[in-house]
Amino acid sequence: MRTAYITGAGSCLPGPAISNDAMEAYIGTLSPVHSRLGRATLRHNGIQQRHYARTPEGQTTHSNAQLATEAIRAALLSARCRDSRLDLLCTGTTQGDLLVPGFASAVQAELGIASLEVASFQSVCASSLMALKHAMMAVQTGQSEAAAVSGSEYSSRWFQPAFYADSYRDNPDPGIEFLRYTLSDGGAAVIVEPEPVPGRRNLRIDWIEQRSFADRFPNCMYAGTATNQADALPWSVHASPSAAHQAGAIALKQDFKLLYELFPVWIGYYLELLDARGLHPADIDVFLPHYSAESLGQEMKRLLQATGAMIPGQRWFNTLSERGNTGSASLFVMLTDWLNRADPKPGQRLLCFVPESGRALAAFMHLTVV
Amino acid sequence: MKNDGGANPDVQQVMRRLTRIWGEFEGRLRSVSIIADAHAGRIRLSDYRTLLKDHYAQVIEGSGWISRAASSVGRPYLEQRSLFLRHAVTEHRDYEMLARDYAACDGDPADLDNARKNLGSMALSAWMYHRASQPNPFDLLGAMFIIEGLGQWFARSFADAVTGSLGLNETQTGFYRYHADHDPDHLAELEAVLGSGVLDIPEVADTLIETAAVTARLYVLQLEEVGHYG
Repeated sequence: MRTAYITGAGSCLPGPAISNDAMEAYIGTLSPVHSRLGRATLRHNGIQQRHYARTPEGQTTHSNAQLATEAIRAALLSARCRDSRLDLLCTGTTQGDLLVPGFASAVQAELGIASLEVASFQSVCASSLMALKHAMMAVQTGQSEAAAVSGSEYSSRWFQPAFYADSYRDNPDPGIEFLRYTLSDGGAAVIVEPEPVPGRRNLRIDWIEQRSFADRFPNCMYAGTATNQADALPWSVHASPSAAHQAGAIALKQDFKLLYELFPVWIGYYLELLDARGLHPADIDVFLPHYSAESLGQEMKRLLQATGAMIPGQRWFNTLSERGNTGSASLFVMLTDWLNRADPKPGQRLLCFVPESGRALAAFMHLTVV
Repeated sequence: MKNDGGANPDVQQVMRRLTRIWGEFEGRLRSVSIIADAHAGRIRLSDYRTLLKDHYAQVIEGSGWISRAASSVGRPYLEQRSLFLRHAVTEHRDYEMLARDYAACDGDPADLDNARKNLGSMALSAWMYHRASQPNPFDLLGAMFIIEGLGQWFARSFADAVTGSLGLNETQTGFYRYHADHDPDHLAELEAVLGSGVLDIPEVADTLIETAAVTARLYVLQLEEVGHYG
């Protein structure tokens, strides 16, 4: 089997960086109580600024597909990869611009590149790693010579006041406001090829592993149904889309208490992986978590230390606070930032971690600088 | 963040294996019907009372097996024996809390005098007494990690779920809330006792992991069998 390398990376963070004080001009305000929950969220998530694919007047500047496309353009440039080399496009996103057809088709149309195989992955934060795993395996098995992989989100459209049922103004939900003040827009992409590009640093993909715990947990971050109870109706079987909207079945939600219960399960999986891969935290030069050290609870740090699994804080690399939490784009945004800022050295080992609260899955990727 | 360079690798390895068992165990809890129903708002006060009563019948054995374990500990592990003794005292407080919660939920205190262990509790208790009767049963530290972990990671969300679903107040969920508030410090205690020399006893690490895994499975069984007494 061949080896797969990340030969280029790029991101698209639209418009200017928006500070915490200015963000409500972009996502709107629902009530002083909602805004108070938002400020509490900002204290917790540590995010200082983010980007939005829209103007304060409500004009969309980039569709989700355009965010992915600009990111892929930047990644192709960084890999010095001409359009005609590309034969596979894999996209990950939480929700495309359209319900139908697949998102990768929209991105190919925006790219205007011919003769591509496409694969659309829809999940939440880990969807881009699912897409990357597909690309990695296609390259390893000789089915692709050059693959573009994107993660992208246009989250802020979900957060406009009119996206919520009228009754939501009087019933603020900390889980919903947590998402409104945490997630923002952006795209990022990587190029995967069977040979490193000479004259620059490349990242060998050693492995990507992912496990889902949907067999044992209900939905934790979800949209399309009003609650995460088993009997809640999907939006598509309400009498009409407007009935679903007024029933609260459209809004993006987060079940906070459940989120807290997912951490030990994710940590259990991480420990299993360390043992199975014979990996020691001391071997990891850079840890790229889709999660900030600041918001990792003391109890979690304590548990990781007690189990000899804590990667020292100075090896964590994370740009969430300046780039915002861009969901499926986030890991590739961080990788792009790291490659541009860190002066990578051959032999350095990177461990990437993407927990996806959606329905409790977690993904890891191990890379080596070559 | 503290570097773990000075820590004891044997202790860390045991903690790691225990945490993996815990992750698997905790993941299973949510799908046990009494827990899933509490989160789904599908339980009645009588269901919650039955749970309290079953827990009472089980917890009342707790100080029993821990005292048995303490008496099975011999020289030179006298320090560790006093740890078991301290735990026996706190277990004693547990069933008193459950009795108060039960009464606050309109339960007749006399029910508790005759409370039977459910099918899962029978198995769990028998297992604990069996292990506690072996010489120097430090493998029970694994069982304690599982049971006390419930307080740290699980008790509050469960208390909140039943509170929300049944409109309860704090006096009716005292047992779960007490454990949510007080159990988080058990990690340091466990690390200390694991680092005190007990891991030098041959095979104790593997037995401890096995005991934790069996205890976790039987704990789930005990929840699955709430209200079933044969």
